[in-house]
Amino acid sequence: MEERFKELAAQYCTIDAKDITNDMTFRDDLGFSSLDLMTFLGDLEDEFDTEFELGDDEQKLSNMRTVGDAIEFLKSYID
Amino acid sequence: MSKTLRELWDKCAESFSDKPAVRWIENKDIKEKSYKELDTNIVKIRKGISAQGLSNTHIALLGISSVRWVEAYFGVITGKNTAVPIDAALAPADIIDLLNRSDTQGLFIDPRFAALVPHIRQHCPKVKKLWTLADEAIDGTQTVSDLMADGEGSEDVAAPQEDDVAMIIYTSGTTGKSKGVMLLQKNLFTNVEALAIGPKPGVVFMSVLPVHHAYCLVMDWLQGFQMGAVLCINDSLLHIVKNLSVFKPHVMLMVPLMIETIYKRLRSAGAKMTPEEVRQKIFGGNLKRIYTGGAHLDPYYIDEFAKYDVLVLEGYGMSECSPVISSNTESHYKAGSVGKPLPNVKIKFSESGEILVHGSSVMTGYYNMEKETEETLKDGWLHTGDKGYMDEDGFLYINGRVKNLIILSNGENISPEEIETKIALAPIVSEVIVTGDDNALTARIFPEPEAAASMSKDELKAALQQILDEYNKEQPTYRQLSRLIIRKNPFLKTSTRKIIRAKVDTDE
Repeated sequence: MEERFKELAAQYCTIDAKDITNDMTFRDDLGFSSLDLMTFLGDLEDEFDTEFELGDDEQKLSNMRTVGDAIEFLKSYID
Repeated sequence: MSKTLRELWDKCAESFSDKPAVRWIENKDIKEKSYKELDTNIVKIRKGISAQGLSNTHIALLGISSVRWVEAYFGVITGKNTAVPIDAALAPADIIDLLNRSDTQGLFIDPRFAALVPHIRQHCPKVKKLWTLADEAIDGTQTVSDLMADGEGSEDVAAPQEDDVAMIIYTSGTTGKSKGVMLLQKNLFTNVEALAIGPKPGVVFMSVLPVHHAYCLVMDWLQGFQMGAVLCINDSLLHIVKNLSVFKPHVMLMVPLMIETIYKRLRSAGAKMTPEEVRQKIFGGNLKRIYTGGAHLDPYYIDEFAKYDVLVLEGYGMSECSPVISSNTESHYKAGSVGKPLPNVKIKFSESGEILVHGSSVMTGYYNMEKETEETLKDGWLHTGDKGYMDEDGFLYINGRVKNLIILSNGENISPEEIETKIALAPIVSEVIVTGDDNALTARIFPEPEAAASMSKDELKAALQQILDEYNKEQPTYRQLSRLIIRKNPFLKTSTRKIIRAKVDTDE
């Protein structure tokens, strides 16, 4: 799952999927804008056939700092 | 013919009656309403509002883009009341402040903001009526169906006059308080008229911008309806790319941030697919035109999108001008410019190069803010706060700002003073300046020397970060402070002890 996650994340940056590590931050290390992160989360919904709840959760998504944070978040939906 | 939004809407309802007006996603299905169906509800809503005793008053709308929001908005602006669209992402205290300052008496509210209703009841004594934008009413409110039922059998409401205030729209102020831009019926009508795109029934728009923005309301909704377009509502920022394939729009209105995100997907997909495959997969297959404004767009993106036959047309505007001032068009186009001024607009430049605007779309003033109105509107000329120039062919270019606003590429205008006054309340903060860097906000803080001396470097950083976290908790994403810089020295100041903003990174 993590491998596919990083392949999708690599679409938004110039770093190869294999070089993305869990401690990297979306904004400073990967250069994501807030909208890149939102769109990427939309890709994750499609890829892993899940639906993130909006409302309060949307705030949580936008505050997600690291790749590891987002992987844990995704796991909480698909486990 | 009177230049009112009633006139505009009635013509749409008559000309495009059975054609689809709005599409949206509900429980994974695509729903649709025709112009006629929309008109039926719009008329019922304005009659209901009148039957409940609200006339010549202010009615706010709090919610995200939805067909119910749009019906309610048109129910207000085609009748005898003034609409006050409110950014639902604001902190609850700011929403309450705007409802009070706008003298709102009725409020349409999306059920996802139900938690605000008791606070509004408690702190907004002028709000007499609340209507839920859903089938089930939030406690202490009525549904829109109840409102429509109250108007049944009554005469239709008289049409508004050209000089009636159609809408008050709040925009960032440089004095720490947002300002309510009063737009008359004729201001909005003539802005749509001057865009002069002409009817193209059946053209598909996908609306992705926040519906409370003047740019979205005028360019997507008013202009789209005037053309007989089908307006498709994007249900979440998470789904823009996916929904391009669902709705297959021909036209979209975007802020530069969205173009930048889609470009990243293009760059990645373009390496593996043919241009036609990219057109289908990323742009949904039909997209031809993107209108953009709200912030500067690097012309590089225009060239990149052109490779996929998507024309990006940059324009310029502000809420105070209803909002479009100039725009590139298919026939009059120069990359890097913001196009030629609309035919109803005159432009001149002050000695310092500030762009001044005069014309029928210019606002009548800020609501209950005479001083700010006088500072912005002088002898009928609106002082935009932007600097620019015009080339020999009449194309306008923007090259700086006079006012101290941070423009993010999502089009949001942030007043740094508004945030600084909140952060400066913390005793540990001696001086603070907020700057916009790489599309995010940075707080540059010079701490109180005594407090700083009593802490380790890490303790000081943690204490200041906590202040930022507290502030961020209640703010929409775009207003959050994502970086902290702790200064070792006070900021450089003028002789009158004002911080020199152009030199905030000196002596850090």
